[in-house]
Amino acid sequence: MKGSLALGIAALAMCCAAVAQTVPPLPSSDAAPGCMAGTGVAAAEVRLPQIGNALANKRKLTILTIGASAASRTPSRDYYDIIERYLERMFKGLDVEILDRGVSGELARDAAERIKLEVALDSVDLVLWQVGTFDALARVAPEEIAQTLAETAKWLRAHKIDLVFIGLHYVRSLETDATYQAIREAVRRVAAEQGVLRIGRYEAGEALAKARLGQSADDFDATSSGYACMAETVARALAAGLFGRMMPP
Amino acid sequence: MQAMIVVKKKERFAMRQPNAVDFWRGFALITIFINHVPGLFYERFTHRNISLSDSADLFVFLAGWGLRYAVGRADSEVPIKQVVMRVLGRAVTLYAAQAMIVLIAIAMLGATARGLDNPLILEWINAAPIFYNPADAHLGLAMLSLQLGYFDILPLYVVLMLMAPVMVLVHRSAPNWLLPMSLALYLLAIVLRINLPTWPTRGQWFFNPLCWQLVFVLGFTLARERGPGRIAREHLHLIQLLAVPIILGCGVMMWFSWWPDPTKVPSPRLLFLVSKTYVTPLRLIQFLALVALFSAVYPFIVRHAGRVVGCLALLGRNSLHVFCAGSLLSLMAQIVRVSAGASILLDTVIMLVGISLLGFTAWLSEWRDRLGGKTA
Repeated sequence: MKGSLALGIAALAMCCAAVAQTVPPLPSSDAAPGCMAGTGVAAAEVRLPQIGNALANKRKLTILTIGASAASRTPSRDYYDIIERYLERMFKGLDVEILDRGVSGELARDAAERIKLEVALDSVDLVLWQVGTFDALARVAPEEIAQTLAETAKWLRAHKIDLVFIGLHYVRSLETDATYQAIREAVRRVAAEQGVLRIGRYEAGEALAKARLGQSADDFDATSSGYACMAETVARALAAGLFGRMMPP
Repeated sequence: MQAMIVVKKKERFAMRQPNAVDFWRGFALITIFINHVPGLFYERFTHRNISLSDSADLFVFLAGWGLRYAVGRADSEVPIKQVVMRVLGRAVTLYAAQAMIVLIAIAMLGATARGLDNPLILEWINAAPIFYNPADAHLGLAMLSLQLGYFDILPLYVVLMLMAPVMVLVHRSAPNWLLPMSLALYLLAIVLRINLPTWPTRGQWFFNPLCWQLVFVLGFTLARERGPGRIAREHLHLIQLLAVPIILGCGVMMWFSWWPDPTKVPSPRLLFLVSKTYVTPLRLIQFLALVALFSAVYPFIVRHAGRVVGCLALLGRNSLHVFCAGSLLSLMAQIVRVSAGASILLDTVIMLVGISLLGFTAWLSEWRDRLGGKTA
C-alpha cells in the first residue's frame, strides 16, 4: 500500500515536472525557430494567479488585449490566433477567448480608462497591454505614462485581474531617440515595481536585428515577422505564468 | 442686362450670415483639430477634459439640426422625393470625401515611414492592415469596415445619411414616433451591446451608428418648431437651471477622476458607464445639458466678439471641406512632432498654422463658390 502510494506520488511529480519542462511545439509560424533564444527577454518570475484560477475553476480564459492591434502578413497568421492556439494546445480542455479591443495609436491614459470599462463589461481574467510605443511617438512625458501604468496595475490587482505589459517595439532609427528610450525605461521600471510580467519586445527586436545584420531585410520586414515571434513569446510567457518561470524556447 | 444677371447670381450665391449653428460647428472643427493631435500641449485646454462629451457629439447633433433645413418648415415641407435624393446625394459626397482623405493619409504615412526609416509609422491610426494585408484592407476601406483612427467619423455620417430617408419618412407619416423609435434602437444597442463589426481587423466601429443615430435624431427633432423642439423652447429656462448642476457635477468628477467602480454598477452596465462608442446615457445627458446652457451664450458672444463669431461661422459654413483639411492637418502635425520632437513652442506654431490653414480652406471654398456664381 505504502509502496503504491509512493509510486503514485512519484508518478505525479514526474508528470508535473514533465509538464513544467516540456513545451508543445507551436504551429508553423513566420518566426524564426527559437526567435527569442539568447535574447534575455524579460522573464521575471512573475506568477499569473488568475490564469491558474481560470484553468482550475471554469476552464475558460478570457484575455483582453489593449493597445495597437497587431498586424500580420496574412489573416491566418493573426497574432492573437497564435496565442490562442498555443494555450489551447498546451492546456487541454481550456477554452481561450481573446477580446481584441486594441485601438491603434491610442495613448496609455485613454487605454487605461477603456481597460476599466472593458473589464466591467466582460469577465476578464488577464489584460495584455501593448504599451508605450505610441505614447513615445506622441511625445508624452514618461512620468505621466509611469503614473498611468502604476495606477492601472494597482486597480487590476485589486480586481483580481492579471496584467501583462508588452513593451515598446524595437526600431533601429529610434535607438537614439531620448523620449522613446525614456518611456521604455519607464515601462520597465513600473513592471518591476508593480510585479507585472513584461514582455521585452524591444530587447527581442534588438536581438533579431543583430542576428539579421548583413542581411537584406530591413526594419519593415522585421516588424512583420517580429509579430509572429512576439506572439510565440507571449504565449510561452502566459503559460509560464502558471509555473512562475519562463519556459524554454 | 449682363450686369443684372451678374448681380442676380451674386445674390443667389451670397453666403448666409453668421448664425449659432455655423458658429458652434466652427468651434467643434477647431477643437477636433486640436484633439486629433494626441499629446499636443493645447489639448488640455479643450472642453473634453472637463466634459463627458466632446466635439463629436456637437458635430453629429448639429448635422441632425441641419436636416431640418433639407426637410423644410412645417408649413412649407419639401417634397419627400427631393429630400431623399438630397440626403442620399450627401451620403455619396461624404463617402467620396472619406475615400479621398484616407488615400492622402495613407500616402502621408508611407512617405513618413520611409523618410524617417521607421516602420511603426505604418501602424499608426490603424493603418497597419493597409500596408501588411492590402487586398483585404482595401476592400474594408471601400466598405467602410476598416477605418483609420481619427478618420472614423465620416463613415458614421455616411450611415446616418443612409438612415436619414427612413427618419424623414417616419417624421412625415408619424412624427410622434420618430424619437421613441430612435430611443428604442439606441437602448437595444446598448443593452445587447450591438455594434457594427470592423473588417479585416477584429473589433467594432468606434462610433456605433446604432447609438449615435439618437444624437442625430435629437438634433433634428429639437430643431423642429413642433413636438419636442417646441416643448424644450417653452421650458428652456427650467432646463438650463437643471443643466447647471449636471455640467458642474460632471466637470468635478472629470477633473478629480471621481468615478464609481465600473465593476460595481448594476447590469446592463453600459447604461451606467461612460462610453464614447455607445454614447451612453450619462454622456448624452451631459451633452444635452451643455446644449441647453450654451444656447444662451451665443447672443452674448455675438455682442462682444463679433469677429470671432464671423471667423468660426466661416469654418462652420464650409464644414466638410474644413473637416477634411483638419483631419489631414492633424495627421501632418503628428508627423511633425515625431520628426522634430515636442515642445510648447512647436505645439503653438502647429496650432496657429493649423487654425490659419483651416480658415484659408473655408475662405477658398467660398471663393470658389462665388467664382462659380460669376461664371455660371
